[in-house]
Amino acid sequence: MLTQPNEILENLKKAITEYDNEKAIGSAKKVVEEKINPIKALDAMTEAIRKVGDGFGRGELWLPDLVGAADAMSSAMPIIEEEIKRTGAKRKSLGTIVAGTVFGDIHSIGKTMVCTLLVAEGFEVYDLGVNIKAEEFLEAIKKYNADILAMSALMTMTASEQKKVIEYLEKEGLRDKTKIMVGGGAITEEFAKDVGADGYDPTAPGAVKLARKLIGK
Amino acid sequence: MLKGFTRNFPTFKILTEEQIEAIHRGTLDILQETGVLVYNERALKIFEKAGCNVNFETKRVKFSPSLVEESLRKCPSSFRVKARNPKHDLIMGPNNVLFFNFPGTDTVDLNTWEPRTPTKKEHTNLIKVLDALPNVHFLNAYPYFGFSGDIPEVMKEIEGVALRMRNSTKVTIAIANNEIDIFTIKMAKAIGTEIFANPNTSSPLTYYTDQVNACFLAAEYDLPSMIWEGATSGGTAPASIVGALVLSNAELIPYIVLIQLLKPGARVSVANLVLPQNMTNGAPAFGEIGVSLHNVAFNQIWRKYGIPTVCSSCGPTSSKRIDFQLGYQKMMPALLSAISGSSALQLYSSIYGEITAHPIQAILDDDIAGMIGRFLEGIEVSDEALAIDLINEVGPIPGHYLSKAHTRKWWKKEQFVPKVADRLTYPEWLKKGKKSCIDYAKERMDEILAAHKVDPPLTDSQENDIERILKEARQYYREKGLITDEEWKVYKRVLKESSGEEK
Repeated sequence: MLTQPNEILENLKKAITEYDNEKAIGSAKKVVEEKINPIKALDAMTEAIRKVGDGFGRGELWLPDLVGAADAMSSAMPIIEEEIKRTGAKRKSLGTIVAGTVFGDIHSIGKTMVCTLLVAEGFEVYDLGVNIKAEEFLEAIKKYNADILAMSALMTMTASEQKKVIEYLEKEGLRDKTKIMVGGGAITEEFAKDVGADGYDPTAPGAVKLARKLIGK
Repeated sequence: MLKGFTRNFPTFKILTEEQIEAIHRGTLDILQETGVLVYNERALKIFEKAGCNVNFETKRVKFSPSLVEESLRKCPSSFRVKARNPKHDLIMGPNNVLFFNFPGTDTVDLNTWEPRTPTKKEHTNLIKVLDALPNVHFLNAYPYFGFSGDIPEVMKEIEGVALRMRNSTKVTIAIANNEIDIFTIKMAKAIGTEIFANPNTSSPLTYYTDQVNACFLAAEYDLPSMIWEGATSGGTAPASIVGALVLSNAELIPYIVLIQLLKPGARVSVANLVLPQNMTNGAPAFGEIGVSLHNVAFNQIWRKYGIPTVCSSCGPTSSKRIDFQLGYQKMMPALLSAISGSSALQLYSSIYGEITAHPIQAILDDDIAGMIGRFLEGIEVSDEALAIDLINEVGPIPGHYLSKAHTRKWWKKEQFVPKVADRLTYPEWLKKGKKSCIDYAKERMDEILAAHKVDPPLTDSQENDIERILKEARQYYREKGLITDEEWKVYKRVLKESSGEEK
């Protein structure tokens, strides 16, 4: 027989593997009500998302499953993060990543996929969303003390925006302490080198390996 | 469960009712005025008894329109064929669509693309791959015409049938040359499967003894028949599409008359392998557009007759390589035949004509069959599919559909995901070794062969029956002189050497 907190955490996991946003929000609220350690809830969600990510990697699950799971997790996340802040709990992570799609580009799918798998791997990921300006990236890097900046661009027209962000970071003196990875439909290995990024991978699972490599873990 | 794909929309038609009537009238006229040449005394007597005009000297038989039309009416428009494993039972016609393989004499070397005789192992591997592929619903008479190893010509297909029965539980076809169907039908009976009897026409308008005997075997063993027609337009049939159609229909009908006289209501299907002649070198013009014009019209007429049709001409191509030409020469006739009413398509494994076949090609063809099958299912129009509520809910950007439950359900329903097509983006493709569909097909072949298990394997007693019937056949053809002393000496040695190896 499951104990009460375990049952809540199991439900939270299930909400993610069953792509159920309402259930995810409900379970997250229960975590707060029942005073369950929010780090445990975070771990449970990471475990669930990893399960979906692994299925995706094996070709058993597909893009809509991955995005559905990410959506469910995102629904629960603000509640759990608020609780972490309130209780001052310490989260352990492989590293901190700030991610987003560059200014002028509103494509979110590839970036969401990568963020989902990065969370599953154990990174602390701050997904800023789409259409993100250089200043916004910079601000987030400072705020979260990020180890990695992950930028996405799907269109050829917006790919050069990644270069702008990198130059801005250099100007602000943050380039040396932040590893930069780039991706998206418009990006190639060559382009990544040209703009001075630290790494590029065409696939979401490859991006996770790359992130580990960049921080030496 | 029903095997095969369901055609969920009206069939594509190319002829008007008046044109169909003209073709039908022409067919009746040929059968009444010229008739056909039948080298089979037993059949001549049956035709005479049924009121046909029979000349025993010239072996010429003429048919009255009423007998022809009555015989066509007696055929069922759909029927079941029983396999050794009931999960492979077949439904032929009218809107169920099945796939099977086209034969090759040889395999091909995938590096040089040159043909060569397959080994027994390669022959068996092709059977195993065809057995494993989900969209192969039954197996043709040969995947290969035998295998290397000094097997006498007459025994090649009989040995081949034994290999098919040991390595597959799918229904197969009993060819009639040299009476070998006497033995292969016995084998089928012994292991509890049905097998298609397979009388072939010889164009123009001629019927040889063994082929006619297939009709008698079908009646005796209560088997379904697949009657094969393979005239060459411009050579053994008129060059005009409709002229070849009149001739090919006139050639198929005498078999139907005979079969229905022997056993009214017997299960019959008609297979179409009419090809234009390549006027440069005399070979059949495999895969050319005339093939499809003939097929589409053929399907339309036989659908009106209510008799299931088989498209044989979507299998062979003129290409020697697995390449662009092969792709379009298979896909186009297969798709057009499928949408115009074929009940079975002989698509798999063939490369050039009846000369070459390969399991890699069969794996590639499985994706063509899957695509066609998906197309045949058509478009569902329902409240859920229309998705009006969903479209209203998602609204404009930044709304999207990727995370919706509707997407998770419907994309799988609507999309056919090919198993071995290259679907990568350029960066992924570069990173993963620049593989093509052929590379993926090779990988899938290795996986299939490593995992293949015949379900269920033959029992010891079934295996003994197969062995006994093979012995009977060897003895029979020895006595008939179709296995010479010299051949027998070599064959005996081969049999002894192979007695310990995997069947």
